[in-house]
Amino acid sequence: MVYCIGHSIISPLGEGSHANLEAVQAGRSGLKLYTHRFADVEPFCASLFDTPQDFVPLCIKSVEGAITNYQLQITNSKDTVFILSTTKGDDLDLITPAKAIVQHFGNPNAPIVVSNACTSGVCAQITAMRLLEAGLYRHAIVVGCDIQSRFIVSGFQSFKALSPEPCKPFSPDRQGLNLGEAAATIVYTTHPFIPSSVHPYWTLEAGSIHNDATHLSAPSRTGEGAYQCLMDVMEGISADQIALVGVHGTATMYNDAMETIALERAGLQDVPKSVLKPFFGHTMGAAGVVETILCAMQAEQSQIIKMLSGFGGVNAAIRLRCE
Amino acid sequence: MEQLIEQLKAQIIVALNFEDMTPADIDTDAPLFGEGLGLDSIDALELIMLMDREYGIKLADPKAGKAIFQSVRTMAEYIQANRTK
Amino acid sequence: MRVIREIEITPTSVVRNGQPIAVEATGEKMLVELYRRFAGDYPKFFKMDTLSRLGFIAAEILLKEPTANGQKPTAIILANRSASIKNDTDYMATISNGKYYPSPALFVYTLPNIITGEIAIRYQIQGETSFYILDKPEDLEQILLSTFNLQPSTSALAGWCECSDANTFYAKIQIIWNN
Repeated sequence: MVYCIGHSIISPLGEGSHANLEAVQAGRSGLKLYTHRFADVEPFCASLFDTPQDFVPLCIKSVEGAITNYQLQITNSKDTVFILSTTKGDDLDLITPAKAIVQHFGNPNAPIVVSNACTSGVCAQITAMRLLEAGLYRHAIVVGCDIQSRFIVSGFQSFKALSPEPCKPFSPDRQGLNLGEAAATIVYTTHPFIPSSVHPYWTLEAGSIHNDATHLSAPSRTGEGAYQCLMDVMEGISADQIALVGVHGTATMYNDAMETIALERAGLQDVPKSVLKPFFGHTMGAAGVVETILCAMQAEQSQIIKMLSGFGGVNAAIRLRCE
Repeated sequence: MEQLIEQLKAQIIVALNFEDMTPADIDTDAPLFGEGLGLDSIDALELIMLMDREYGIKLADPKAGKAIFQSVRTMAEYIQANRTK
Repeated sequence: MRVIREIEITPTSVVRNGQPIAVEATGEKMLVELYRRFAGDYPKFFKMDTLSRLGFIAAEILLKEPTANGQKPTAIILANRSASIKNDTDYMATISNGKYYPSPALFVYTLPNIITGEIAIRYQIQGETSFYILDKPEDLEQILLSTFNLQPSTSALAGWCECSDANTFYAKIQIIWNN
């Protein structure tokens, strides 16, 4: 059994998971229009830190926020592994910042970086679950982080994928996505002792990754990969046991349509959805971690599913039991 | 116009990585999408960028591209009418 | 875990299951030569960046003939150290030096997992596709072990696929069965 024993979120909406949850519940969004943040780039709507952040210190701060409640053996401990979820890392370098984070905490294990496009944050948690279930480590610190840049924004603009206004997932007049930045950490353990300070506690029970195998930059029209992921994580579970589905909801024409089809095919169309991109934008490598945490915080004594799809036709989903 | 069409064919081959093709292989009036060259949505975006870079034409609405990119000829006609370079 | 097929590609050599395959060209040109010899029917190859071409060719040579039990691998799990740095550099060139013409065709390849998507499309593999960034190839083994341990993947096209420029690359990719 793989349990969460700590988590944290740092975003333009605040520091700490609770601060971010309160912001969402109060209807505050981090989305703003930026006209001069990056040279040559057309005006874009995004959720960015007021002061540009450095990748490694931001990740370190996020990890520190997640481990305060539990005395986790990290320094010199072979039992703990770091898993970093990011798409563009620190100025296009992914392995160097991962090593810097690990070195900062004095951890002797090689870090693992998951770079599976937008699904990275969920895939990183699945990787953690597998490593822990296989007995290779006892604890996994999953950090998701991406910082926006001229590189990324210009690229998405070349796809004409960005909405000039705050995004409207699943709305008939949706115009595309907004980008965002954040750092979030979720800590998993197989150590059987759950301290009483950890409550509510979440169990990561299932995870699945499937490729649509149809097109690199557009999802399958039948939501095939996403549907397969949902069916896998729902095995042995019925829809009425799921309190909330954390959808991807990027507000692009095709992603939202595909996700809707996949959810209907999986019988989850009536389950309430957690749609977070209007608050945080698309935080890329951080999305899977940020959105899992916030989704789980809203479900007591029930179960949640977090699903994502990404570039390269990849889809991923996890199911957590929240008690 | 014929010169523009030939130039455009050569530019399309480079921009869309049709390494095994020459301009003579491209039918001026054949559909670019679906049948014909079988281009996809990323190719459409790349053609939009080509028009900006080579001819100074900015296409704000990608949906307008459908009519413009019917064939090499319709694309050349549009460029002829709207080029700023 | 059982390795049933293996390929190792450098800019000057190709070795399949321990047997060298004769090639005339080197570097990126060698990859094109291999494409024409082993595939030749997939024009999308020419849209791919060097990293994706490398992975595509490796997969093509490994999967061309059916395996002994006729089954395709159920997962594609690749890793490297440099992510998509070569493509990132190519994309950057379209928005640098006073120019601003961001190329969507190049931006597509600025995520290393794209190569797993290309292989999945070519071979219609709808199982897991994953890409990891690791310090060294040996770090992939624990990931494969733990992936097979939890299932449902029971076999994988897996390995190292690294590229830092058009003529500097290395791939060692295997078909691995979990029994």
